[in-house]
Amino acid sequence: MLTDREVLSTLAMLRNEHLDVRTVTLGVSLFDCASDNFDTFADKVRTKIGKYAEKLVATCDEVGDKYGIPVVNKRISVSPMGVVCASFSPEQMVKACQVLDESAKAAGVNFLGGFGALVEKGMTRGDRALIDALPEALAVTDCVCSSINVASSRSGINMDAVALMGETIKAIANRTADRDGLGCAKLVVFANIPQDVPFMAGAYLGVGEPEVVINVGVSGPGVVKKAIDRAMERNPNRTLSDIAEVIKRTAFKVTRVGEIIGTEVAARLGLPFGVADLSLAPTPEVGDSVGEIFQSMGLSSIGAPGSTAVLAMLNDAVKKGGAFASSHVGGLSGAFIPVSEDSSIAAAAASGALTLEKLEAMTSVCSVGLDMVAIPGDTSAATISGIIADEMAIGMINSKTTAVRIIPVPGKGVGDLVSFGGLLGEARIMPVPGGNAENFIRLGGRIPAPIHSLKN
Amino acid sequence: MNKVVVSFLGRDCPGIVHAVASLMNELDCNIDEVSQTILHSEFAAIVIADVPDSLTVETLHAKLEAGLAERKVDLNVTTRLLDGSGWGDAITTEPFVVTVDGPDRPGLIAGITGVFARHNVNIENLKALMPGGDKDGHALIVYEVALPASVDPALLRAELREEADRLAVRVSMQHRDIFEAVHRVQPV
Repeated sequence: MLTDREVLSTLAMLRNEHLDVRTVTLGVSLFDCASDNFDTFADKVRTKIGKYAEKLVATCDEVGDKYGIPVVNKRISVSPMGVVCASFSPEQMVKACQVLDESAKAAGVNFLGGFGALVEKGMTRGDRALIDALPEALAVTDCVCSSINVASSRSGINMDAVALMGETIKAIANRTADRDGLGCAKLVVFANIPQDVPFMAGAYLGVGEPEVVINVGVSGPGVVKKAIDRAMERNPNRTLSDIAEVIKRTAFKVTRVGEIIGTEVAARLGLPFGVADLSLAPTPEVGDSVGEIFQSMGLSSIGAPGSTAVLAMLNDAVKKGGAFASSHVGGLSGAFIPVSEDSSIAAAAASGALTLEKLEAMTSVCSVGLDMVAIPGDTSAATISGIIADEMAIGMINSKTTAVRIIPVPGKGVGDLVSFGGLLGEARIMPVPGGNAENFIRLGGRIPAPIHSLKN
Repeated sequence: MNKVVVSFLGRDCPGIVHAVASLMNELDCNIDEVSQTILHSEFAAIVIADVPDSLTVETLHAKLEAGLAERKVDLNVTTRLLDGSGWGDAITTEPFVVTVDGPDRPGLIAGITGVFARHNVNIENLKALMPGGDKDGHALIVYEVALPASVDPALLRAELREEADRLAVRVSMQHRDIFEAVHRVQPV
């Protein structure tokens, strides 16, 4: 029989602390859909995604209903389209992106990820065509997300790609200027991208993955915050060791919920279960914020001195608790700090307590990186490339995933409010540090991979 | 050997369980299973035991009552043969946990259990944790139930919500696995 405490604490998690399964992502390999004939390709993609995704949303809802825990987002990830569509021109790439968009809408999912390329060591013709297509592709579609991996610890940083992504981000922003550069919110530039990410916008199905797979992204920043608050209330003399233990145990509970739901969805669909991604992903809703955890741990806000230390501890404790709860952990597994998507982080950025420089420092200990940061529309492509290069360097040297999802909002400047709507939230535009990276970015080439025998 | 089910109810005090167990031992009854609880100061126990063929249920009942009176233990006794068949033996069920909380009021349990009864949902454990016990008169009632496979959880949940709204309380219904998964370190 369940004890009173078990019932009460689970009920509190479900009711008051925004416990949900953040995303169930169906990975579908599209390698067998490759064709140099566009119509053949499009038919195969529609048929394959349609076949496997047909029951995804209904099944997630049924399983969520059975357990009384909602699966908030149902998504699809596909193989990197730079490889699948290697023979296509940029115009055909745009059409391919539209086919994916239609397939996602037909399946009833809210996002489809994988319109991306892996170019950390070099770029193929297909990769280049895909990147060239991005401004148009992200403007004319609603659900498709893109991730471009431009660096890895093994290959170094492809600075030609970094330079190109700076230009591309500017072009995407301008092409979606009527929506405050919204297209940029659907693009992430990565270092060390994992191949089984269920969270958007970075989701894609890697080359070593099965034909079809179900990955699950658990979340629960609200649950972690409330658990810390409760522990502090019961005993205000708690130390950081105690709080780390509280976070660890809470992460265990949250991950178990994700694992149980993910495995059941996979079983009902007759598909293999892949990984649970342990990330704490905030939403703009109050009480579902990663930023508020910083306040619960005694900081005036995220961005105050001490923030990097708090984030390091939070990330580690989440991984420790989650790793025991799930047989297969993957994805990014850490705390996201997306500015506009988290009301508390957005507020800290608006007040000046959180700067771009501090965000960058914090990304050295968290997943993923500079995320959903709105910057002035007149920021140059070279400056954006410089920001990307810095972030990639952190990932490359520290053998971790880092990423940049940055939005130069056309026609707006520092302090202006920009609203992307829904989960993407809203934020004030942050100032970008001065200086000029133009000549550095123009050098191009590749920053060599680091030597790890002399680690320091 | 026959199996009997015997229930005991009365004021709690030390020595009750010993009185019951030793009496049954003297009557050559072998206790199989016992469930015992205390609510406020009231003792309740339900016992399943093997009894010799020579002992009828009526005789057992009479001897238990006499023995308890002799030991000055004030318990009401009910005795009957266990026929071995139970509800749910032939149907597949899923375990769910339903909780109801809100201001205590008459009819709270009757209302919710009415929904269960209509859907053929069996209550396996029922616990009212603080019915009127705290100063605000806040009740929390936990039902562990068995849901036949033929019952649509969404429909049941909707009807429970409707009933809870009528009673001005909150209701939630989760699969039992969630509670196990979150709190117990064992595969689920």
